[in-house]
Amino acid sequence: MSTILQLTDATIKFGGLTAVNKVSFNLQKGDLFGLIGPNGAGKTTCFNLITGVYKPTSGSIVFNGKEISGTPSNKIASLGICRTFQNIRLFPALSVLENVVVGAYLRHKTGLGSALAYLPSAIAETEALRAEAFALLQVVDLDDVAHVRSADLPYGKQRRLEIARAMATQPSLLLLDEPAAGMNPQEKDDLARVVRRIRDEFEKTVLLIEHDMRFVMGLCERIVVLDHGEEIAQGPPEAIRSNPKVIEAYLGEAV
Amino acid sequence: MFYLKRFGWVILAILLCVGFESVVTSGKNFDYVYRMCVLAGLYVTLAVSLNLINGITGQFSIGHAAFYQVGAYITGFFAATGYKGFASNSLVQQLSHIGVNATWTVQGLWLVMMVLAGAAGAAVAGFVVGLPSLRLKGDYLAIVTLGFGEIIRIVCQNQPALGGAYGMKIEPRINSMWFVWLLAILCIAVCRNLLKTAHGLPFLAVREDEVASSAMGVDVTKVKVTAFVIGAAFAGAAGALLGHFEGFVSPPMFKMEVSFMVLTMVVLGGTGSITGSTVGALLLFGIPEWLRQIEDSHHNPILVSAGSVLGFAIMLVAAVAYVRHLIHHFHGEKKAKTQRIVGTFAAALVAQFFLGMLLNLVPALRDKSWPYADLRWAIFAVTLIVLMLLRPQGMFAHHEFSVARFFKRPKEAAA
Amino acid sequence: MGSALTLLAGLDPAGLPQQLVNGVLLGGIYALLALGYTMVYGVLRLINFAHGEVFMLGAYTSLFVSWALGFSPEAMKSGSHQSNPMNLVIMILVSMTVCALVGVVIELFAYRPMRGSSRIASLITAIGVSLLLQYGGQLFLPTSPPPSISDKVNPYSGSWEIPLKSADASLVAALAKARTEAKESQAEIDRQHINRFDTNLPPAQAALITTVETSERQVHDLEAKINNSSVKINLRYGQLIMLGSTIVLMLLLRHLVLKTPIGRAMRAVSHDFDSASLMGVNVNQIVTLTFMIGSALAGAGAMMYATLGDSPALNTFYGSLPGVKAFVAAVLGGIGNIPGAVLGGLLMGVAENLVVWAGYSQYKDAVAFVILIAVLLLKPGGIMGSSKVEKV
Repeated sequence: MSTILQLTDATIKFGGLTAVNKVSFNLQKGDLFGLIGPNGAGKTTCFNLITGVYKPTSGSIVFNGKEISGTPSNKIASLGICRTFQNIRLFPALSVLENVVVGAYLRHKTGLGSALAYLPSAIAETEALRAEAFALLQVVDLDDVAHVRSADLPYGKQRRLEIARAMATQPSLLLLDEPAAGMNPQEKDDLARVVRRIRDEFEKTVLLIEHDMRFVMGLCERIVVLDHGEEIAQGPPEAIRSNPKVIEAYLGEAV
Repeated sequence: MFYLKRFGWVILAILLCVGFESVVTSGKNFDYVYRMCVLAGLYVTLAVSLNLINGITGQFSIGHAAFYQVGAYITGFFAATGYKGFASNSLVQQLSHIGVNATWTVQGLWLVMMVLAGAAGAAVAGFVVGLPSLRLKGDYLAIVTLGFGEIIRIVCQNQPALGGAYGMKIEPRINSMWFVWLLAILCIAVCRNLLKTAHGLPFLAVREDEVASSAMGVDVTKVKVTAFVIGAAFAGAAGALLGHFEGFVSPPMFKMEVSFMVLTMVVLGGTGSITGSTVGALLLFGIPEWLRQIEDSHHNPILVSAGSVLGFAIMLVAAVAYVRHLIHHFHGEKKAKTQRIVGTFAAALVAQFFLGMLLNLVPALRDKSWPYADLRWAIFAVTLIVLMLLRPQGMFAHHEFSVARFFKRPKEAAA
Repeated sequence: MGSALTLLAGLDPAGLPQQLVNGVLLGGIYALLALGYTMVYGVLRLINFAHGEVFMLGAYTSLFVSWALGFSPEAMKSGSHQSNPMNLVIMILVSMTVCALVGVVIELFAYRPMRGSSRIASLITAIGVSLLLQYGGQLFLPTSPPPSISDKVNPYSGSWEIPLKSADASLVAALAKARTEAKESQAEIDRQHINRFDTNLPPAQAALITTVETSERQVHDLEAKINNSSVKINLRYGQLIMLGSTIVLMLLLRHLVLKTPIGRAMRAVSHDFDSASLMGVNVNQIVTLTFMIGSALAGAGAMMYATLGDSPALNTFYGSLPGVKAFVAAVLGGIGNIPGAVLGGLLMGVAENLVVWAGYSQYKDAVAFVILIAVLLLKPGGIMGSSKVEKV
């Protein structure tokens, strides 16, 4: 197995606040990796560091052997890391299908000029990207609502659409920020199946943030726990479950 | 086959424009109508190109007149310095024998060159104005674009080489109505093509959510600047045509109000909708001009008394308030709702007539009167406010006009 | 470098303090207007494009009040007017009241229904209201010939000179000497009853006349020299009143916003509209009040500018240029930020006068935007505004 993502002492400070402090972990190709921690632990900030929304104050982030800290988001997406957002950020006025095509657009080959002139190459490419996007919608079971405005979708479907949109960029590493938030148990089970399928069938590496312990423990093979921006534990679910530091972080100090 | 078909469309567009021009020029005393048609075509180009920046890409630009001005002044400058040399150039002289009419050919060639020059110059300006959009958002960007427009205007106003406050004469004057409309069609076609292909989606995505676009690999910077460059280029081309049509350019032709007017056309039509911008441009350009025209059979302007104006205003406020109430609180069938809204306005129209008559009994209100021409901007402003109050998303909202939409409502999402 | 030096050499250093003072005075008016923009933006996130027109209506109100107080053009001709400091007080109060009412009406009929619509739609409505006031106003307000408020309204017509740097002592001494010389020779001429314009004078008397003429010329030259070497500021009393009232109004506003429950509610609404409303703040009342205060400040500014400042004659577009500049000032200071608006207004006024002083008065309307663009590119939130990091 080869290392796909390596964080070494990644740190970011906002003014006096150290949101993420010297976090280090490795992701192997094909991992299904969980990132957990209480509210405000710095999980999403970690995602923001990896995807280039913020630049780390110090430390390094290496993706496929390449240092990526400080690279703009869109470059990182084209290198093969894509994410979903905790507070869903779809393109509300676009249709479900169009949302996914935006993800797939990364791989366009024709120039803007051919689009403005409406040349056959641009038309054909558009058709191809739409077909590709539609296939992805089938994977996440949204093909029946492909032409609905994405803002009109119910919540659970919006979450799935975000995953499909991220998948459309064909990332080698997929970051999911609380994909199961607000879902009922049935939806969560569906989601777990989709995530596992993405890893097995599409051979992606998945890093996910989640609060639902049952979901994470059942799905992930390795887990990192953050608290107050610092890494407090790392290991397989069983080890995490019994780790006293983790229990303390979640439940407070034993009296 | 594809290119043959495309060629056919281009020929059709040209024939349409030329046909439109010959219909206009076949009338008696067509000067005024001709002028209006040219200006309307230019406004359509301006509105559709601003829609690309404002509606499609979501960058709040309110200084579009600046690009229009850059195009016009570039033409003015070249016409003053280079037209004579161009016309007497031996190559041009030889080419001039190709067409039906030597003058036409020379002027046509020149006009094409100037449109390209104006577009190129304005594109550069668009690039410069687009750069702040990388750092600034919303109202801040708006005020910066407005500022750029004002700076360009004031600088031109104080450059003796550009004619200063009096402006520049542009020789020759070229009546180019079909060309103006061809440009408008080109602008519409380019925007429509963009939205028809996948290449348009990043533009829309940037409008919807910059952070998410960027995470999906969209180069937000490039998209924004591209939108500004393309939008500005069309405005510059329109400016070049304006310069040669009017035969002069001067700074007051490009005041802030022009930018506001174009912005209003876009919003009124529905931001992001190309058809909306086109219809918005035609309406907003047409209404004030039409009001200026109102006169009786003896060519005297029809006067409106203060009483009638007051009566109209009162009934309008009442009708708008009631219709707003209907829009928000009527939960019956859509058809019944429409009927009630139309009915309200019809009733208000009748009531304002009688109320006006009643008010005209007061001597002070009867004796003060104005011709429609004086009232036209006030009416324009009222129309604007009323439309925004009743339909803030614009006439066409985000959608494009299509016949199918009339018969089939878009599917509602299944809950 | 060379051209920069010649540019500097062409400047007149003696004029600088005066221009700075003029800048601060003008900036005070911009600041009053900018406060209206910034307060409305703070609570509603709306650029109130009609604010400049409220300013225009304030100026017209002051004009009508001055006519009613006996300063109408006809009354001026017959000379039957009477200056009274109370006139100024009445004018400013009426102007503020009328503007406050206009502001409330505009908010009620045009902006309140637009709440919840897109920002751009509200902006178009604001442009519509602005156009309506400009062009609708043309139908009812006197515009040709453009009227202006009579200078006579202001009972304090004098000015106060502040010498900053007195002239060289040697020059002053020389001037005194030349003056005495001229006076003595003149006295001698008067005593001898010599006609200065007689061409046939005896040489002694002719010499006397030459002396007088030389010393008179000397006096003239020295006076000019002293004028150039001394630096002074000329403050008209009217301008002083204007500055004083501006400061008083700003202090009142500061007290209102920082020390009263209403001010606290205002700050809450401006911080978070929805939460404030959930916390029991009567949001509508606060918005109305904000419009009232902002417009009243514009009214005060308009009255002072039209009566005491160097105002152009009135027409219905009177407010559009100051309006745009004040808006720029508000953005410059950080829109939504009250001290920022004051700072922005002052900067704008000073910058404008500095450009005039440097001999580029034709560019004075452009300088506002140049500064704005420069500042925003360096600090996108304005000078005192905070540029928020978007939460992802």
